[in-house]
Amino acid sequence: MRRMPWRSRCSVWLLALACILGLLASPAGAAPASVMVLEQALVGAEQAGKPPDWTQASAVRLPDDWADRTASRSGVMWYRLSLPAAADGGLLGLYVERACSVLQVWLNGQLVHDGGHFLEPVSRNCHQPQLVTLPAELLREKDNLLELRVRGYALAEVSSRHRAGGLSVVAFGPYEQVAAQHARRSVWTTRLPEVLSGALLLMGSFMFVLGWFNRAQSYLAYFGALMVGWSLLLARLWASNLPVSNPVAELLLAALMAFIAMAAVQFLMRYASCRLRWLNLALPLQCLLMPATLLAAGGHRLHAAASIWYVLLALQMSAAVVFYLIQSHRQRSRQLWPMAALLGMVGLSLACEVIALTWPLDSRILHVAQLLPALGFLALGLRLVQQYGRAYQNVEQNRAELEVRIREATAQIERNFAQLSELKVEQVTERERKRIAADLHDDLGAKLLTIVHTSDSERISTLAREALEEMRLSVRGLTGKPVKLIDALGDWRAEVVSRLQQSGVQGEWSAPSDEEVPQTLSSRAYVQTTRILREAVSNIIKHSGASQCSVRCTIANGDFQLVVQDNGRGIPVELDGRLDKGHGMASMKGRAKQLQGQCLVESGPGYGTVIRLTLPLEQHTMGH
Amino acid sequence: MNDILLLEDLPEIRAWLKSLVMQVFPNARITECSRVQDALQQVQSLRFDLALCDLGLPDGSGTDVVAKLRDVQPDAQSVVVTIHDDDEHLFPALQAGAYGYILKEQSRELITEQLQRISQGEPPLSPSIARKVIKYFASQHQPQANAMPEVSLTDRESEVLLRVAKGFTLPEIGVQLGLSRHTIADYVKQIYRKLNVSSRAEAALEAQRLGLFRR
Repeated sequence: MRRMPWRSRCSVWLLALACILGLLASPAGAAPASVMVLEQALVGAEQAGKPPDWTQASAVRLPDDWADRTASRSGVMWYRLSLPAAADGGLLGLYVERACSVLQVWLNGQLVHDGGHFLEPVSRNCHQPQLVTLPAELLREKDNLLELRVRGYALAEVSSRHRAGGLSVVAFGPYEQVAAQHARRSVWTTRLPEVLSGALLLMGSFMFVLGWFNRAQSYLAYFGALMVGWSLLLARLWASNLPVSNPVAELLLAALMAFIAMAAVQFLMRYASCRLRWLNLALPLQCLLMPATLLAAGGHRLHAAASIWYVLLALQMSAAVVFYLIQSHRQRSRQLWPMAALLGMVGLSLACEVIALTWPLDSRILHVAQLLPALGFLALGLRLVQQYGRAYQNVEQNRAELEVRIREATAQIERNFAQLSELKVEQVTERERKRIAADLHDDLGAKLLTIVHTSDSERISTLAREALEEMRLSVRGLTGKPVKLIDALGDWRAEVVSRLQQSGVQGEWSAPSDEEVPQTLSSRAYVQTTRILREAVSNIIKHSGASQCSVRCTIANGDFQLVVQDNGRGIPVELDGRLDKGHGMASMKGRAKQLQGQCLVESGPGYGTVIRLTLPLEQHTMGH
Repeated sequence: MNDILLLEDLPEIRAWLKSLVMQVFPNARITECSRVQDALQQVQSLRFDLALCDLGLPDGSGTDVVAKLRDVQPDAQSVVVTIHDDDEHLFPALQAGAYGYILKEQSRELITEQLQRISQGEPPLSPSIARKVIKYFASQHQPQANAMPEVSLTDRESEVLLRVAKGFTLPEIGVQLGLSRHTIADYVKQIYRKLNVSSRAEAALEAQRLGLFRR
C-alpha cells in the first residue's frame, strides 16, 4: 500500500473542515419576510408565584441579557409582548432562539408552552432554541398578549456567561417557517453535539483503555481522557434535565475544565516524550483544588472564581502547547504541522467562545467554534489509533523476524556445538589412542619383546610374538578410522603370501579388481578380519601339512566373502563332535559373529579344510 | 660392513641384536648406544657403514639419529629396528633417510635374512608404506617437481609402488614386470632415496619460507 504523505493527508483534513465551515456559513440566512421579530417587551419579576404587576413593569428591548444588568439576580422574570395581527389564518408559531434557563409561554392568559422544570433541579435549556405553537382558538382578532416566563440565574452564579439568564428576540410567524428556523438551529445546537458527544465518548473510552494497558503509550490514555472530558463538556449543549441543582451542575462543569486541562497538558507532555513527576502529582491535585476553591468561594462568586481558574487553565494548556511545539520542532517530528494546525484550530475555537462572551458574534460562528475542537479531536484520535496500529504491526513483524533469526541462530549454534563437540571427541579420542598406543608399545611391547627374544621355550616365544602382534592390531583398532577395502586386501595379500612363501606353502590369491571395491571397512571389521585370516593361515602353516593354499575374496549381494582352502590333513574332530579348539576355530567364529557375519569351517580327513567367512558389508562400511 | 652403530635402550634386546649382528657381520665393530644423545655424539665422531636404530627411546626418537647420519655421513645406511609397524612412526624415519625397517619381534632367522637383504641393497616395502609414499608424491606441488626432476618418481617406480600397495611381493612384481629381483630392489632403493631427497627439499623450502616470513 502506498502511503500518503502525512502533510498532504493533514491538508485533506483541513480542507474537509473548511468545507464543513462553508456549509455552515451558507444556510440559515435571514428570516423570511413574513416572520416578524418582536423586540419590545415589558419585564417584571415574579412575585410569590404570580405574574408581576404589569402596571409597574419596565419596558425592555430584546434580547435581554441578565448578565448585562447592573443588579441582576437569579429568579423568575415575566416578559409581556404584544403580538401583531397575523397576516393570514394559517397556524402560527413562535421561535425563541434563547431563553435561559427555562421558558413557559402564556397566550392571553393560557399556558401554551412549558419548557421544563421551574423548581430545582431547574431544566437547562440555555443552549437550545424553543419552538412554540400558538393555538388558533386562543388567538384574538387583535391585542393578543404574549407572556413569557423565564427562570434564569445571575451571571455570578454560573460558570459561563452563556448560561446566565436572558431572553433573546422572539420570532413570530407562520408555523412552518419558524419551525424550519428552529430545526436548522437545533441541528447545530443539539443534534450535532449529541452525535459528537457519543462519538467522542466511545472513541475516548477506547483510547483510554488502549493507553491504560500500554504504559509506554500513556499519551493515548490521556488523549482518551481528554476526549471523554470534551464529550461531557459538549453535553452541556444538549442535556437539559440533569438530576442535580444548578449550583452543583455549574460547579461540576467548571471542575470538568480542570480535568480537561489535566488530560490535555499530560497528553501534550507525554506525546512530546516528556514525563514530569511533579506534573503527575500537581495536575490531579489541581483537579481537586479547583472544585474546592469554587465551593469555598460560594455560589454567588462562582463566575468570578471560575473565570480566574479558566485563565489559569488556559495558561497551563498554552504552555503545554508551546512546549510540545518546541519539542517536536526540535525533534523534527513529522507530527509538528498537523498538530500545530489542530492546536491552532482548537485555540481559535476557544478564542471565539471567549470573544462571544463580550461581543455579540454570529451565532453560527459560535456553533462552529463549539463543534470544531470535537471534530479535531476525533481526527487526531483516528490518527493516533492508526499510528498505534502501525507501530503494533511493526512490532509484530519485527518480533516475527527476530523469532526467525533467533531460531536460525539457535540452529547454527547447535550445529556449531555439535561439530565442535564431535571435533573435540575426535581430538580427545586421538590423543587417548596415541597415549594408550605409546604406553602399550613402551611398556607391554618392550616386555613381550624381551620374552620373545630371551625365552628358552619356543612355544613361549611364539606366544609372546603372537601377543605382540595382537597388541599392535588392538592399537590399530583403537583408531576407529575406516579402512578402504582395497587397501585392506593389499595388506592381507602381502601378509598371507609372504607368510605362506616363507613356510614353503604354495599360495594362490584372488581378489576383485580395484574398480569393484569402492567400499570401506570399519577399523573393527578390518582388525577382526585380519585376525581371522592370520589365524587361518597360522593353522595351515602349523597344523595342516598342506602344500597348497588358496584365498579367494569376493563381493556379492553386499556381503564380503573370504574363502581359505588348503589341501592338508583337515582338522580332527573331537569326541564331542566339535572341531578342535586348539585350532582357534571357536575364536574365529566368535569374531565373525561380533561383526554380524559368520564363519563356516568344512573339514574332512584327506579333503583339507575350507574356511568361509561372510561379512555383511553395509554395516561395516561406515567408520563407527 | 665394518663399523656398525646399534641404538637400543632395552639391554636384553640390545644384547640379542648385537649377537645377531655379529652373526651376520662377524668382523664388524659394533658401537652400542642406549640414548639418542649418545648416538648423535658417536655419529659426529665416528664413521659408520650401518646404523640400526630403535625409534622409541627414553630421550627422543631414533629418527633424529637417522637424519643426522644422513647429513654427516651420506654413504652410511640406516635401518630402523622397531616394534612399531604403523606408518605414523615408520614414515618419518623413512623420510629422514632410513633404508628400510625391521620389526623386532620377528624370529632370529627372519631378521637375519632381512638384515642381509638390506645390506645387499634389497630393502623391504610394505603395502601401507607404499600407499603412503604414493600419497606423498601425489601431494607434491607440481612446480617443485619440475624444479627438481630427480625427486619425482619415474613411471616404473610408480608402477612398482602401486603393485606393492596391492599386496604383491617384490619377487612377484619382478615376475610380472619381467624384471630381475635386483632391478626391482634398485627401484625400491630409488624410491627410498627420492622420498628422502624430496622430504629434505620440502623441509628446506619450508624453512626458507618461514625465514622469508620472519624477515
